[in-house]
Formats: sequence, C-alpha cells, structure tokens
Amino acid sequence: MILEMSGIQKSFGGLEVLKDISLEVDSGEVVSVIGPSGSGKSTLLRCATFLETIDAGEIRYMGKPAAATGSQGKAVYVSHSELNEVKRYFGLVFQQFNLFPHFSVLRNIMDAPVFVQKRPKEEVHAEAMELLRKMNLENRADAYPCQLSGGQQQRVAIARALALKPSILFFDEPTSALDPELTGEVLKVIRQLAEEKMTMVVVTHEMPFARAVSNRVIFMDRGVIVEQGDPEEVFGNPKQERTVQFLRNYQR
Amino acid sequence: MKKHSSMRRTFAVLLIIGLVSAMFMALPVFAGSDGTEKSAQTIFGLEDLEGKIVGVQTGTTGDIYISDDAELKLKGVERYNTGFEAVQALSQNKIDAVVIDDQPAQAFVAQMNGLTILDTEYVKEDYAMAVQKGNTELLGKLNEAIAALQENGTLQTIVDYYIDHSGEGYSSPKGAEHPNGKLVMATNAEFPPYEYYDDNNEIVGIDADLAMAIGDYLGYEVEISDMKFDSIITSVATGKAQFGMAGLTVTEEREQSIDFTNPYYTGKQVVIVRKSAGAQRETIIDRFKRNFVQAGRWKMLLSGLGVTLVITLFSTLFGVLIGFVVAIIRSTHDKTGGLRILNIIAQVYTTVIRGTPTVVQLLIIYYVVFASVNIPKIIVAVIAFSMNSGAYISEIIRSGIMSIDEGQFEAGRSLGFNYAQTMRYFILPQALKNVIPALGNEFITLLKETSISGYIAINDMTKVGDVIRSRTYDAFMPLVTVALVYLLLVFIFARLWGVLEGRLRRNG
Repeated sequence: MILEMSGIQKSFGGLEVLKDISLEVDSGEVVSVIGPSGSGKSTLLRCATFLETIDAGEIRYMGKPAAATGSQGKAVYVSHSELNEVKRYFGLVFQQFNLFPHFSVLRNIMDAPVFVQKRPKEEVHAEAMELLRKMNLENRADAYPCQLSGGQQQRVAIARALALKPSILFFDEPTSALDPELTGEVLKVIRQLAEEKMTMVVVTHEMPFARAVSNRVIFMDRGVIVEQGDPEEVFGNPKQERTVQFLRNYQR
Repeated sequence: MKKHSSMRRTFAVLLIIGLVSAMFMALPVFAGSDGTEKSAQTIFGLEDLEGKIVGVQTGTTGDIYISDDAELKLKGVERYNTGFEAVQALSQNKIDAVVIDDQPAQAFVAQMNGLTILDTEYVKEDYAMAVQKGNTELLGKLNEAIAALQENGTLQTIVDYYIDHSGEGYSSPKGAEHPNGKLVMATNAEFPPYEYYDDNNEIVGIDADLAMAIGDYLGYEVEISDMKFDSIITSVATGKAQFGMAGLTVTEEREQSIDFTNPYYTGKQVVIVRKSAGAQRETIIDRFKRNFVQAGRWKMLLSGLGVTLVITLFSTLFGVLIGFVVAIIRSTHDKTGGLRILNIIAQVYTTVIRGTPTVVQLLIIYYVVFASVNIPKIIVAVIAFSMNSGAYISEIIRSGIMSIDEGQFEAGRSLGFNYAQTMRYFILPQALKNVIPALGNEFITLLKETSISGYIAINDMTKVGDVIRSRTYDAFMPLVTVALVYLLLVFIFARLWGVLEGRLRRNG
C-alpha cells in the first residue's frame, strides 16, 4: 500500500468536514474522487498532503506512520524530521497551479530537487528538460509563468511535482481554473501518466475523464464516502440514491 | 517612443522646479520692502506696550519675566527659538516689540535697519554659569577662577573687546596646559555678543572667551557644544555638559535643576521696537553672495548636506534591517502561531514608535537613553531614525508578505521546503517587489524627517541653513536654498527609484 488513511476526522470551527473517512491507495492505482462542492473531497486531499492537520485518525505512507490517534483520541503527528521523510513520497498539483511567478519554468521545476533533495544540478537539469519534453513544453524552459497559458502553467506544475519523483501524485481539481478549451491538454498529460502506471489520486469534476482513466471512483458527500468502486459500476450502475442524484445533475 | 515621453516628463518636472525657484527669487522684491517705511515709531516707553504683542526667546529670562508680568497688560507673548527670529519677526511687523538682553539687542539694532532700543531698560540681571547640582568641587573651582579673572582684569579685557570693540580680546597664553582633562560647555551660539559663530565658523563671544580663560586658569580644555537654549539646563543637569554658559540669569526655577556660580557679569533686558526708517535694498546677487559666498558659507551648507545624507542613508539601511526582522516575526506569528513573545515585543515596538512624534523619540534617545554615555550625536541620530523608520518599514514589508497568495506558501511546503526556506526563496522576493514603491516613499519621508536633527545640535542641512540665517539676518535666502536642495534630492531619488521599479517590473 502506498497510502493508508483510516478514521480521518476533521472539523473547521465546529463544522465536521470529514467524518471517519478511510482510504487506501495501492501502487499503480488511479483513484478519482468526485462529489458536490463542500463534500470534503479537497479537504481529504489537503489532509493527506499535510496542508491541514487531522483531528483524529491515522495516516501512513509506504507503511510508515505520519499521524496516529493518540491516547486522548486526538491525532498525533510524528516528529518534524520523520514527517519530512514521509513527505518525499507524494507530490501535489494545485487547482491554481501556484507556480513561483518570479522564477523561470526551468527554475520552478529544478528548485526543489536541487535545494531540498540536494541532487546534482546537471542530473536534475537533464531530468527537468525530459519532463518538459513530455509535457510538450521543451521550448518554454526559460519563459516565466505569466507568459504561459493556464494549461501550460498547469503542465509545468505537474512537471514540478514529478521532478521530486514521488510515489503518489495528488491532483486537487487540476482543470477547474482552466478555460474549457485548455482542460484537454492537461487531462491528456494525466492520462499519459496513468498509462505509465503512476499512482494518482485526482479530485475532479470531469466525469467522462474520471470514468475513462481511473481504476476506482470514490463518490463523497457531506464528509463521508457514499460509494466507491469500478468506474463502470459507479457511473453505469450506482447503488446509492445520493450518487444517482449527483450524476443525474451532472449529465444535464 | 517610450524613452521620448519619459524625457519629456523629466523636462517638465525640471521646468516646474525652475519656475518655483524663480518665483521664490522674485518674492523678496515684495517682501523686502516690508512695512518698515510705513510704520512710524509708536512705542516710546514700557507703558506703551499695553495691548501689544511682545516677542522673546523661549526660556530666556526675558521670557520668564514678561510671562509673569501682569502690569504691562500685554495682548500676548510670542516665543521664538532664537532672539534673532524674534527680532526678525519684529522687523516684519509680526510683533510690536522684543524683550531681549542688552548686548545682543545692540548688535541686532546695529545690523538691521528700522529698529531702536527703548531708553528705559526692562529689567537688570546677573549672569552666572550653571553646573550640575551637587557638583560642589567644580562649582568651587569655577567661582575661584571667576574671582581671579575679575581681579586680574581678564574679564574686563574680554568685555571691552566684544562690547566696545577695543583692545585685543583674550587669547590663551602661550604654552597653556590642560592637564586636568576636558570640560564641555553647553551654550546656544545665537546670542551675540555672548556666544555666536564668527566668520571662521568658530563659536566666539564674551561667554566663549571667558570659558576659555577659565579653562586655561584651571588647566582644563574647554569644548563648546551648541544646542537649543532650552536644552542647556537639561544638558548640564544630566551631565552631558559640565557647565552651561549662555547669558544665563539666576532664577529660582532654574536653581531647582542646577547650581549657579557667582555672577560674572550684570546684564540688562531691554525692549527693541520699530522706528521709521527706509529699508535697505540689496540685489539678489549681493544677497546670494552675502549668504553663501562670504566666509565660505557654502562649505557649511555642503557639509550639512553630507551630514543629512549620511544620517539618511545609514538610517535607511538599519531601518530596512529592523523592518525586515520585525515584519518576519509578525507575519510568522500570523501564519504559524509561533514566536509569541517576539511578536508581542514587535507589536509594542511598532505601536510606540508609530504613536509618538519622531522629535520626541530623538530627544528621548539622546537625553534619556544615552544620558550618561558619551556617544557621537550622529550615531544617536542614526539610531533614532533607524528605529523610527524600522517601524514603518516593517509594516510596509508585512503588508507585502500578506499580499502574497496563500497558495505560494502551500506550494513551497508541498515541495518539501520548510517555512523559513519558503519565506526566503518564494515569499520575500515577491513581497519586496510589491512594496518597492512604498519603500521609496519611506526613504523620501526619512530624508526630510532628518531635518529635526538640529534638536540635538547636529549640523545637518536644515540646521546649517538656520545657522546661516542667524548670521546674515536673512531668512529667505538660506531657508529657500535648503528647501530647494531637499526638493532636488527627492526629485533625483524619485527618478532613480522609478528606473529601478521599471526594471523590476520588466523582469516578470
């Protein structure tokens, strides 16, 4: 198992956003998380990537614990250095890309491998150029983010996350901030990664994409996982009334 | 195209500066022919002062007596920083009379047209030296020296020289030795003939020479420190100066803070009023020469400019450093909840600095914080202005940090950078770029704010302008020149800063 989350609880000022959620992701799996806004799917992803701290529950990456429920029922995180170890296993792609506007495309990609992972610059540079080729952006290496379209920026952000060689890559609504005609180029890249057996968790509103690319679809609503399974099952033959309702609204 | 339009803008601004200066230059033609011709003398005795406004120098005995004097039935008392300012106001019809010490009154009346001294003196008074309370050893020595110098005629030689312009005056005997160290004399060198700057930029006068003679007699080197009149007593009381000598009259109020020696001279407070007389005309060029060329006064102005620039540059440097640290402490607390104690200190610091006047901060740092420490005044000023500007800069930088999207912090963290690294590599560079215009503005503010350095007797550009004014009896020329130099400095700086801004903007 690459990621194991169990019994995750998270509230914001009395509002329960995640109610006892459990999620496991195995190597090579592509998991899509769908659901109405406010269902807690983004929060789940932010908890998995430690941008939010969980109130209770357990998180493990590659079997290594990151947080566990302590004696008082509250989640206790491991030490700073242990957490940094665990952080190496995942990468994150944001809805708003969050590229560093004052750095070139190449520097955006190379900074973390060189400064955080302390890998040799030449090696990282070669890898970064290879990633840019894969993203079809090899001629934009010296451009600044503001000179790129939203779709191009998001592809740079994916390259930046991949440069750290994560075992699992999270996407937080990767196409929601894009114009409709630009979503295709980003989805194509994710599809390509899926074919290469990259382990991924994608929070998305793109239903056809989720159905076509993922091995498993999770439908969340009001802080719980309502239904999950094979995409053909969930989309073609939903078991839960809430799922049926949600998918019907989406098809209109 | 773009270059062309920016050149045109520079030209337009220079044109405006030129026009403004020309306007100022033209102004004295009207101001110069001030009311002196129209107003005939209306005050002939103390009884005529009823219903009039009288000017005095703040903190002088004239001020003290006249403020308590109900018999005169004055309309009001105007207090000025120097006697010269009061006399100038009188000649410009702003007030009706000036109460001032007899000797400087004679000097002023001799220099300026249309003024006269009333025959009846206002009050008689004894001048003495001030020493720190309880310093009986020094008090005894000074009394002994005064007695001896009165005895051997030295005092009379000095008085003759400065008042009757006769004789050679006093100069230290050849081979005079000062084995006992140094005495600092606090004075206000705008009070001829007691103490004033001569054409060689040295402080001379009855008090100055007598102090030197006393020093020679007692074996001390005397260093004269020029300051505002109302700072002299404080300086002596806090031990910044060993004695004060500035035509100081013995009053009960003063005796509560310091001790007085036996009087060395008896002076009179007299009343200066206007009489009818034609104002003297002078061409602009003569006036310019008199203010800046004569006695090489432009050199003073230049050194004042240097002092202003040194204080401003160093204060900006340290201000930015302080601002940086405080801004990072405060935003780290806001973002992560850490650094609680430091955050409280930083908040108190910004609140106090932003909540009190800069002049008060400067005076507190000089007279309270460094009261008993011997430290160059320029360093005191740099400390005060750095602390002051640091508080404002910290808020500027903090607003820059807060303006950066939260996603940038999250991106940094998700890539494995810790908080400090994220701050340093990703947040601060962007934040700084956003606040460049505001930082330039703060520098301009600071440059002009340093003009209060004169409060602790630093000869910055403003103070030099004021010193020139006190010597040439011309307010217009030195003050407008100083104003134009500030304007030019700000203009040049704003242009340079604009170039920097443009360059940063182009770099994405």
